Amino acid sequence: MATDRGADARRRGFHEDSAAILIGVALVALALFIGWSGRPTEDAASRKAFPKGWPNRLSATIDKPQTWSDAPRQALVVIDKKDPTKVKPVSIPILLGMTWVVGILAAGTLLRGRSLPEVLPGACFLALLGGLAYLMAAQKVINYYNLEYPLWALLVGLVISNTIGAPKWLEPALQGEFLIKAGLVVFGAEVLFSRLLELGLPGLLTSWVVTPIVLVVTYLFGVHWLKIPSKSLCMVIAADMSVCGVSAAIATGAACKAKKEELSLAIGLSLLFTVAMMVVMPPFIQWAEIDPIVGGAWLGGTIDATGAVVAAGEMLGKNLDDKRPAEVAATVKMIQNSMIGIVAFAVAVYWAGWVDRDASGPKTSLAAEAWRRFPKFILGFIGTSIVCSWLFTMSPELALLVDGAINGFTSRLRGWLFCVGFICMGLQTNFRELAPTLASGRPLILYCLGQALNLVLSLAMASLTFGWLFRQGVTP
Amino acid sequence: MTRPAGILPTIPPGLRLAFATAILAAVWLVVLPTVGRHPAVERHVRLMEACDVNPSAMVYTELEHLPLRPDWIERHLVLWPTGN
Repeated sequence: MATDRGADARRRGFHEDSAAILIGVALVALALFIGWSGRPTEDAASRKAFPKGWPNRLSATIDKPQTWSDAPRQALVVIDKKDPTKVKPVSIPILLGMTWVVGILAAGTLLRGRSLPEVLPGACFLALLGGLAYLMAAQKVINYYNLEYPLWALLVGLVISNTIGAPKWLEPALQGEFLIKAGLVVFGAEVLFSRLLELGLPGLLTSWVVTPIVLVVTYLFGVHWLKIPSKSLCMVIAADMSVCGVSAAIATGAACKAKKEELSLAIGLSLLFTVAMMVVMPPFIQWAEIDPIVGGAWLGGTIDATGAVVAAGEMLGKNLDDKRPAEVAATVKMIQNSMIGIVAFAVAVYWAGWVDRDASGPKTSLAAEAWRRFPKFILGFIGTSIVCSWLFTMSPELALLVDGAINGFTSRLRGWLFCVGFICMGLQTNFRELAPTLASGRPLILYCLGQALNLVLSLAMASLTFGWLFRQGVTP
Repeated sequence: MTRPAGILPTIPPGLRLAFATAILAAVWLVVLPTVGRHPAVERHVRLMEACDVNPSAMVYTELEHLPLRPDWIERHLVLWPTGN
């Protein structure tokens, strides 16, 4: 009987979460192995010689379209910044990047015991659409105003689903959740807890005190005061606004099993506000004569997206002829980046143990019930994060190995997986379900009020830490 | 006056897709390049390129330069918590 059950389970294949963990962990391990096997023989421990980590041979197998201004074909070459006559084509790595996505979808399909021939045509088409979304995001105006690729991936999916609809042959390949989960497990390698220790106490205090307060208050405010019917929508909006934008929204959205429409809405809100804050905050800080270091910490604590924080810090620094605002802003935001794993894990535990709990169901222990509902892929995400964080602290050589694997491969692959995952979401999104909530304007009110609280608390904490408590330390 | 009923459903799906694609192509190939030539936008793009900043980075690993702990914070860590 037990043997029958085992054979049946094998026929049925792995659960989506298990498949995502297996594939994600295998890819991170592959990147580390390739990095180790090609380790440099000289200056192997020198951060100066390898500022972005050891070169990883897998980097030749994946890339994305480069920024372009007038003609999309400009996206297919990298122009050397120091010598513009040196041009390197990237068409092949872009095509290979698409191939990775197809391969991962194929591997996931096999692991889950599904039919590969049914999935392959759709997977190839989705990978091409991913390339298109990346190309749209690489347009210079879009890129330099931080309108990130998930928005365009959603748009591409929505255009198809709202005109001709997702074709039948594409449906078996529409595995957006699987791609996002596999992407998150790979993303775990980038969330290095150990980096926190490098970044200094003022930044830690600014990020770790304010962020959880804003997250919890915004969530409770949405659920209890604004009475937004969907708790997961409140959580995703609270996380993307208080932690670090799209990446936090993706991780917490998966942890609390938010609907595709909710995640799309939260990401749209976050990106629109990010653009506005990136443009408005630096001149405001200058006009209000806020201390540049405090201003930098404020930017880092409040603007959602990492790139936009650095951009705003540079704008402020340029106006004041001071490098420190950008450095402080990047430091504070980087600490928030490192919190994604902890926040996603905490949200998953809270959701499994309290929010999703069925009071009328059979009485089981809280732990057993929580474990049953817990999104297991989060363990893969936390696992890769812990292993890479541990390796990062072991020695300077291993830190360079991890950085090289991340910069050369896993970060690019994660981007492709998220991008195609969002295309699937766009193809399956039905905004009609959210229409009543949207029409009430409550998600927008929640975002605005949460962000207002974030702005006030972050400025207060930045003034306290960078402006007063550790002032001696941060004055050159 | 009532809205003409069912105009959208009567447009064939293929034509709807062609129409949406044409709009997107016009925005990306004509509007955005034109916006990009506006002096304020051009200034912003040039500043970001000069500073090697990638504003569309989702996390720090996508930045052109990994933000490392600046020297002046390092000095602070040596000072703290003795308060010298």
